[in-house]
Amino acid sequence: MELQYFLLLAAALFCIGIYGLVTSRNAIRVLMSIELLLNAVNINLMAFSNYLDPSGIKGQVFTVFVITIAAAEAAVGLAIVLSIYRNRDTVDMEQFNLLKW
Amino acid sequence: MDFANLVAQLNAGTILPEGIIIATLLLVLVGDLIVGRTSSRWTPYVAIAGLLAAVVALYFQWNNPNSISFLGGFNSDSLSVIFRVIIALSAALTILMSVRYVEQSGTSLAEFLVILLTATLGGMFMAGADELVMTYVSFETLGISSYLLTGYMKRDPRSNEAALKYLLIGASSSAIFLYGISLLYGLSGGETRLTAITANILANNVDQSIGLLIALVFVIAGIAFKIAAVPFHQWTPDVYEGSPTPVVAFLSVGSKSAGFALAIRLLVSAFPAVSEQWHFVLAALAILSMLLGNVVALAQTSMKRLLAYSSIGQAGFVMIGLVLGTEAGYASMIFYLLIYLFMNLGGFACIILFTLRTGTDEISEYSGLYQKDPLLTLCLSVCLLSLGGIPPLAGFFGKLYLFWAGWQAGAYWLVLLGLITSVISIYYYIRVVKMMVVKEPEEMSEAVKNYPAVNWNLPGMRPLQVGVVFALVTTSLAGILSNPLFTLANNAVLLTPMLQPTITTIQPAPNPATPGYADLESETKEAIEG
Amino acid sequence: MNLADGVQIVSFGVLALMMLGAALGVVLLENIVYSAFLLGGVFISIAGLYILLNAGFVAAAQVLIYVGAVNVLILFGIMLVNKRQNFVPLRNAWVGKITTAAVCLGLFALLGTMVLATPWAISTAPVAGDTSTVVIGMHFFSDFLLPFELASVLLLMALIGAIVLARREFLPDALEREETQQPVLTLPERPRELASAAPGSPDRTLGTSPTQRNV
Repeated sequence: MELQYFLLLAAALFCIGIYGLVTSRNAIRVLMSIELLLNAVNINLMAFSNYLDPSGIKGQVFTVFVITIAAAEAAVGLAIVLSIYRNRDTVDMEQFNLLKW
Repeated sequence: MDFANLVAQLNAGTILPEGIIIATLLLVLVGDLIVGRTSSRWTPYVAIAGLLAAVVALYFQWNNPNSISFLGGFNSDSLSVIFRVIIALSAALTILMSVRYVEQSGTSLAEFLVILLTATLGGMFMAGADELVMTYVSFETLGISSYLLTGYMKRDPRSNEAALKYLLIGASSSAIFLYGISLLYGLSGGETRLTAITANILANNVDQSIGLLIALVFVIAGIAFKIAAVPFHQWTPDVYEGSPTPVVAFLSVGSKSAGFALAIRLLVSAFPAVSEQWHFVLAALAILSMLLGNVVALAQTSMKRLLAYSSIGQAGFVMIGLVLGTEAGYASMIFYLLIYLFMNLGGFACIILFTLRTGTDEISEYSGLYQKDPLLTLCLSVCLLSLGGIPPLAGFFGKLYLFWAGWQAGAYWLVLLGLITSVISIYYYIRVVKMMVVKEPEEMSEAVKNYPAVNWNLPGMRPLQVGVVFALVTTSLAGILSNPLFTLANNAVLLTPMLQPTITTIQPAPNPATPGYADLESETKEAIEG
Repeated sequence: MNLADGVQIVSFGVLALMMLGAALGVVLLENIVYSAFLLGGVFISIAGLYILLNAGFVAAAQVLIYVGAVNVLILFGIMLVNKRQNFVPLRNAWVGKITTAAVCLGLFALLGTMVLATPWAISTAPVAGDTSTVVIGMHFFSDFLLPFELASVLLLMALIGAIVLARREFLPDALEREETQQPVLTLPERPRELASAAPGSPDRTLGTSPTQRNV
């Protein structure tokens, strides 16, 4: 097993996440894409931790922090999506044009 | 490692200011739970007292010889102290202006204060974070609390929309930032402390690799989002227009200063191997920010949007100091941020006051305000003129020092561009001032014609008045009496060991071996200790 | 105690394919409920990859937190906003999609080159393996103590903030408005352009929002 396999896999997941981020029109799908990005970073960290830092495993600790914060971010994100849905009755990103970009 | 030994190694005294803020936060939260809605009479003052106590505690941290704490996780050097002071003060001033605003919108004040204090905490930890995990956790603490503050007026579709945009752009930029950080962890062979990363990168022979460059670009993307530099600024005008105005004030000063603190620490200590590249990238960002921020601000009709674009331009000016990499550059940047704190928050306090009385923030509605409310007109004019850099005011000296430092370091084009864009900025600031002091009564706008009688006795108006007058006094006096601030900024840089090697390598002129420089250094040390 | 190399390679291949397929499903499928379930598939495959990387503790945390909490939260979110609504198709949307896909492929090529070109400093130290839980615990209470404590403040604040935003508010009618008749929980500023929502678009419901009623 090589470190590079895992890194390439993480890079692929990261790019899929970016694609979803840019093209999705549903706000919840954008949140899911952000979770994909964070998971790509986690694979990176875990791979580095196993191959470069096998006794210190700081990467695993870092991953635990990222998982924690991702959960908090998802909760806050859904709360915001709920409150906007209550006022606007849609989650379509193209409709959120009250403020000019 | 036994417990007593561990406690001694943690050196936890360095985070006393943050500890005070956490205690205040819990006090506000629990006090509000117990007392109920009437607690809004005292919670803001408790929060302000806590923040000021934190500033006092920070005063005792100044020039702390034993600044590294938590086994390398946190560094309380003078640079971080000054940035933490800026962030804590900006939060205190924000609370002063938010009492009335939040009350009038019918939302609960205690939760607002709790989230704002958490954001302050995140910013303060970010200013001293010396380790990748700590950097990321504090970055997100500041970020997530800012998203919540932005969406706090939850019945208003504009506030919802601003929060959603801020959240989505912020979360994706922080994920990109995190990818850069993970590369840094890998390139250094499994090291997370910033000070050790560079040595490991050099030892692993990856200092010129494409990996380090990609890590640099990703990290800069994350930082540039926080300081709202072009082209990572798209969220700024929308978020500024849609959020509650006190939150905008905090984002434009507190959050931005934290971003600059992070930028200095991360770039200087983790990326010296690609120093030329990051200076180049930041110079490009500075130029774009100054140009776009100031030019687009000309076309704005809403005061909040005007200040949004102007803050993008101001970030560009501050980045000049960062790009120079000289001692004077860093010092001028800190000096400018100190002044920017007062003048920008003063401007926002005036806008909040006007909004609360008239319910609008259109620039055209300000016309003729002078005849109804001279104090407000005076304060807003002083703050805006100071932001533009008109001579006797504080902003002029800030810009002068920045441009002087740039000229000394040979960044002529950057300085020239800065001068041109400041002239543009003076134009749109003066336009507002001119509108307010217009003489003829028939040119008065509807909002000003119906202007309510000035009444400071309503609940929550006193703190706002204090904020407005305080900003007015400091902005007008800080120009003439700028010397203490100036020395403070210089000492902060001189006393920070991290900034010393880069300064001497990039600019060999003030050679540490020459007696004059050593004298200067010992003099400043005496001045600080005495 | 690693599995034999062959088994490892095969399981890596299977997990990688599962993960990439599910991730593509998340971003490409029309139905958002399918996407949400596939997201769970992505998380579980990643937990499998963590086990291949000798990290049992984090793999368990991944399953518990991501699949058990985040994914369920997202499903709840979808159900709470489940209005069957077909987004008005944008003209030339495919141009944007193709461009984005090209940019993402370019980014992948760049990152792939970087991964393959960088001489990673592979360490030969013994793997923590089964003791990793102990090592992680040691880290949490020594050099990562500060972020650990800060994360607790962050979680407290996220909890409070999410409740404040998502809770249905009882609007206190009797709340005194001394000088303005501003509706509660909105910005004091009047909206800049009330007409900015295009006529005919589904967000006519905006008209019932408190801000507009006021003006």
